[in-house]
Amino acid sequence: MTAHAAIPESRTSKVLKAIGILPFVLVLTCVLLALYEPRFLRVSNLINVLRNASFLTIISAGQMLVIIVGGFDISVGAIVALTSVSSALSMVGLSSMGIESAGVIVLLGCLMGLVPALAVGIANGFLVSVLKISPFMVTIGTMTIAVGIAGYVTGGTPIYDMPELFTREIGRGKFLRLPYIVYAAALVLALLWFMQNQTRLGRYFYAVGGNEKASRLTGLNTRKYIWLAYVLSALLAGIVGLFLTARVGSGEATLGSNLMLESISVAVIGGVALKGGVGRIQMVALSAIFLAVLSNGMSLARIDSKYHIIIIGLVIVFAVAAESFRESRRNKHV
Amino acid sequence: MSDQTQVSGHSLRAIGPHLLLPLAIVAVVAFFALLQPAMLSGDNIANIMKQSSLFFFVACAQLVVIITRGFDLSVGANVSLVSVASSMVMTAMIPVFGTGLGIVLGVGIGLLIGVGIGAMNGLLVAYGRINPFIVTLATMSIFTGVATTISGGFPIFNLPEAFSFAFNQMIILMLPIPLIIAGVVAYGLHFSLTKTVHGRVLYVLGDSNEVALVAGRRVKEHLFLAYVTSGVLASVAGLLMTAQTGSGEPNLGTSLVLNSIAAAVIGGASLRGGSGGILAPIYGALLIVCLSIGMNLQQINGSLQPVVIGAILIFGAALDALRTRER
Repeated sequence: MTAHAAIPESRTSKVLKAIGILPFVLVLTCVLLALYEPRFLRVSNLINVLRNASFLTIISAGQMLVIIVGGFDISVGAIVALTSVSSALSMVGLSSMGIESAGVIVLLGCLMGLVPALAVGIANGFLVSVLKISPFMVTIGTMTIAVGIAGYVTGGTPIYDMPELFTREIGRGKFLRLPYIVYAAALVLALLWFMQNQTRLGRYFYAVGGNEKASRLTGLNTRKYIWLAYVLSALLAGIVGLFLTARVGSGEATLGSNLMLESISVAVIGGVALKGGVGRIQMVALSAIFLAVLSNGMSLARIDSKYHIIIIGLVIVFAVAAESFRESRRNKHV
Repeated sequence: MSDQTQVSGHSLRAIGPHLLLPLAIVAVVAFFALLQPAMLSGDNIANIMKQSSLFFFVACAQLVVIITRGFDLSVGANVSLVSVASSMVMTAMIPVFGTGLGIVLGVGIGLLIGVGIGAMNGLLVAYGRINPFIVTLATMSIFTGVATTISGGFPIFNLPEAFSFAFNQMIILMLPIPLIIAGVVAYGLHFSLTKTVHGRVLYVLGDSNEVALVAGRRVKEHLFLAYVTSGVLASVAGLLMTAQTGSGEPNLGTSLVLNSIAAAVIGGASLRGGSGGILAPIYGALLIVCLSIGMNLQQINGSLQPVVIGAILIFGAALDALRTRER
């Protein structure tokens, strides 16, 4: 090794190693954006950013879990669409059956809406963990199937006439000026942080993704944890589907079509390693905020929405290239 | 395991894929022919031939990188961008340079875009050592964005008749031109995969990265070249499909990613890399095209057709997983 490696690390590089460059990039983006466009700092705009970041955090949390156990979930966007259609249809059906109480309709409708999501998650988990099929193929297959079914059931037209309680209260309701989805995201963040840092379950997820064979040989039921990761991912996507449906006010088969790409971007930018075994929920949440700020900035700057996917694509390439660069340097030092 | 079972298992596996897929294709055609006699009409069979030839190129594009244990999610975006860009060049250049040169320029630009996208993927995968899934997912979103941006999201009309004739309608010795081009490409690809060092390195690469490195081959260059080949094959598909539709379409390739992977995998290319020959995209393309044409004839709801393809994809991948486990 060169002489440089022997010199003790400076304080800044230690800090950088611990939290990465993402927080600095985020702060820099916010400052530049605020200087360029003061409207960014308006409370209504910031709440808007926070809302979008919350949707992204929840769905990317699921993506993170699946990537940690060494997989991918391409079907998350399709699960959002399927949940939207099934919950809307259930609510419309329940109210036409003559149930008076809106509360009962909404509760049952949401639960029934999550059933297909759960089914997709269970199928993904079974095919990946038991039949050992490549997660990429499995989830791209279930994605197509789910989107097809959602499109077939709705016939391409949105489903309206859901109870006001759902569309107004859950979709637009606020507590202490913040939309409910923000609290939901905070709850997911807290629960997953607790799981990853304080529980055996969290450690098992890392172990299975880090080295599946070794984990199995030490007596871990690897199948179970891989399966669980897919089910949790589908469930979180389903919850996002419910909130998004309430927000747009109709059941739509095209809802969430960008979320697959975005959730994978968020996970990757948040430092979740594609080889499995690495990833922290707090970094994923930070990365979700970063992506939400970036999209908001592009909208404020009146950049055509067609450019957004180009820029997101470039950001992914940059983030992954940086990660792989860091990795190769680390390997050299060992 | 006794010797006997090994031998019989081996021979079954050896002829299995060669027999199973043609049988499956015949079964699909027969099934739809029973429901709709029009399936076997001369026009329809010519149509199947033509569509399979177009689709063959994207399946090949996928095969070349699947052999190295990779993926190319950007084939669809590649097709869309080539369609839009070459159409724009043709419509702009023809008034200046005349029809002939205009078409040549358009086709040249299309192929160059294929090289460019392939080179970008290859650079990031081979030299940047980034997961091919993420690389091609990113380039997919970038180039889909570019295709919709430069076209404004609208189709580009007024392509010269001669372009559609030369790359789609022309018939030589009773064979439609896309089929002839597909045949030439199939032969070339087969040759380079089986008879050249490049081809052998790709298979070894798919089997094990280390082995290829130990064998002293310049692994990165070969891997890079595989992605470039994939990009060029996809751009050929883009040009031929544009000649078929007669206009530059910004969303021409949207459904191709799923279908191309399905075709390559169902045709027998293993996702674990290191296997699959030229027969995989041929059988795969024929099977998928026969299915979708059959479903169209039967007027099966457009939303349900992808459901069938998705189910076949999972089935093909499950067979693949089973084969790998046996090995």
